[in-house]
Amino acid sequence: MNYFAGIDVGSTAIKVAVVNETGDIAGVHVTASGSLFHKNSLEALNMLLSNLGLKRTDIRYLIATGYGRKLFKEADDSISEITANAIGAFEAGKAFGGVRTIINIGGQDSKAIQIDDTGNVVNFAMNDKCAAGTGRFLDVAARNLDLDLEELGEYHFKSEVAPLNINSTCTVFAESEIIGLLANGHGKAEIIAGIHYSIASRTVRLAKRVGIEDRVYFDGGPALNKGLVAALQDELGRELVIPEHPQTTTAFGAAILARNEFEAEQSLVPA
Amino acid sequence: MTNETSKVIPIQPVSYSRSRQAGESQDVLDHIIDDFQDNPESMQYFYDLFRSVYCHGDEIKHEGMLVGTTCIQAPEELIYAFGATPMRLCNGSYHYDQKGAEFMPSKSCSLVKATLGMLNSDNVIPKIGKPDMIVNPTTCDQKKKSSSMMGDMGYKVYDLEFPNVKESEASRQYWQRSVRQFATELRQLTGRKLTKKGLQAAFNKTGRAQAAFRKLHSYRLLSPSIILGKDIFLVTNAYFFDDITRWTEKVEALNVELEARKQAGFKAVQSKAPRVLFTGSPPIFPNLKLPLLIEEAGGVVVADESCSANRMLYDMTAVDEWMVNDMVDSLADKYLKPCTCPIFTKNEDRKRRLLDLVKSFDADGVVYQAFSGCQVYEMEYRSVAEAFNQAGIPMLYVETDYSPDDKGQLSTRIEAFLESMKNRKKQKQRALG
Repeated sequence: MNYFAGIDVGSTAIKVAVVNETGDIAGVHVTASGSLFHKNSLEALNMLLSNLGLKRTDIRYLIATGYGRKLFKEADDSISEITANAIGAFEAGKAFGGVRTIINIGGQDSKAIQIDDTGNVVNFAMNDKCAAGTGRFLDVAARNLDLDLEELGEYHFKSEVAPLNINSTCTVFAESEIIGLLANGHGKAEIIAGIHYSIASRTVRLAKRVGIEDRVYFDGGPALNKGLVAALQDELGRELVIPEHPQTTTAFGAAILARNEFEAEQSLVPA
Repeated sequence: MTNETSKVIPIQPVSYSRSRQAGESQDVLDHIIDDFQDNPESMQYFYDLFRSVYCHGDEIKHEGMLVGTTCIQAPEELIYAFGATPMRLCNGSYHYDQKGAEFMPSKSCSLVKATLGMLNSDNVIPKIGKPDMIVNPTTCDQKKKSSSMMGDMGYKVYDLEFPNVKESEASRQYWQRSVRQFATELRQLTGRKLTKKGLQAAFNKTGRAQAAFRKLHSYRLLSPSIILGKDIFLVTNAYFFDDITRWTEKVEALNVELEARKQAGFKAVQSKAPRVLFTGSPPIFPNLKLPLLIEEAGGVVVADESCSANRMLYDMTAVDEWMVNDMVDSLADKYLKPCTCPIFTKNEDRKRRLLDLVKSFDADGVVYQAFSGCQVYEMEYRSVAEAFNQAGIPMLYVETDYSPDDKGQLSTRIEAFLESMKNRKKQKQRALG
């Protein structure tokens, strides 16, 4: 059987997805990017292959995406993460009755993508330059609060008062703002809820720039954070579709594209 | 107090060509030349020109008095008619942008900061010498307010009054008076008279340059493209400071080469390369960041609507009566009527021009650049986006400045935009087939 892979070399994590001939997910793997992008990418791919009991030659087509896509020379082709994300969300969204708007929050950027009913990108927006409202922001906040990143979600719901306002958009300034709030005796839960709402409202502004249609698909690592999901849903006033593996949607999209490209190339070969 | 261990370390002079400022230009130029294949041979003149002026800091010579201009709305024909040489001062260097940020608000636009940063510098590159006068059209707010700053730096500045409304007859008359007043000022500066002959010669000079540009422009209609946008921007940027007659000859030579390319069926890009119309804040060397990212990612800039290129050279003067006063009025009209600068209250003409360019150049999409802090381009984005949206033409809006630090993010956005255009095209073809 032929398999196809997508590898998403992101700023914070490397995500790999493998699909079979029918486009079903065979497996996914996520690992930290570290500083050795290329070495860690290769290891992540090999790890997934050995987990699945596959050989490198079973992968007939491999597409790289994400910030490190150009560095990964082992790939057959590369594609921008916006297109890959759109393809992945379109495919994964079918199970939920189809999606037209995608919100992605990554390690160092956030995006809103609008797709048409065939999965093509119609419009998109990306945050400018700085890390405001991205996964990095959550990372910094968790460190300030002496918590693990995974704990932020549950703390969100522990707050008994209204979420605090976090006004700084700059991640570095927000850090000092959080320290200030702690020094004033505020509890962790209300600060965390405030952080989630601050990210959510920035993200909704971004999404409104591209136009929000139909169901909204939310992916990227921060979509694992249930507190952030609740805040985003509240700000958006709409239901969110959260896939089973929110981190690997883009890698999955690249794998689907790899499958499609392979088929297109095969059909060109005269029988 | 000195002793043997402490001493004052004298400044070690660094030659210009080894400075970081020269390095900035060097990098961009190397990129333009070496990272692309099949550069036209006639482009060598322009590559050498930029190497000499920006990387080596060679002097630029000029005839008569030197009149610096801070905007394309300054009628250069009038300056030539008085035997003086116009020199466009608008600057594209990140180095000067940072120099300007030392005394200008940090949120002002890169172009204005860089231009003032350059004028305030001890070592002005391009090395043009001190202008005898700077003519500063009162177009956007930041340029308006630059006037007194340039005055404080010791330059003789003339404010050329420019209207905010384009359509009204009052504006037209106001602007014509303003241009006549400018002629009076030039007479005082140069001590020469404005003659029909002098003005006619100036019209011929710029007319020939424009004709060469229009011809060059027409080769961009071809699909697949036979010349890349990065070269066109270099050619039009050279017009800022190069001797106009020599510039015209070199463009004519380029046109001859392009005609041969056309006859030979030459392709400068892949046949499926997305064709992009570029609009908004002007790309000025060495800040060709966005056009270069587009072409690196496999797109091609086939036309532009910007004041550093197309808008500067496209429109010609239409004279009814060949009498001096009437000629000056016709000249004024040429600078007002076709102008699509966003400083005007309404800008239906810009939208019309853009839609027309997309159609005639068969563009697949539009990239709209707004320099952070350039309010008029930022605000006008909405109505332009709406017009394209209605026409079903995709557009990418990019807010950026001269700093190279957003290149990584921008390249992702541009690649995604080009990919979506390619998909759209494929789908259209499938639907037709």
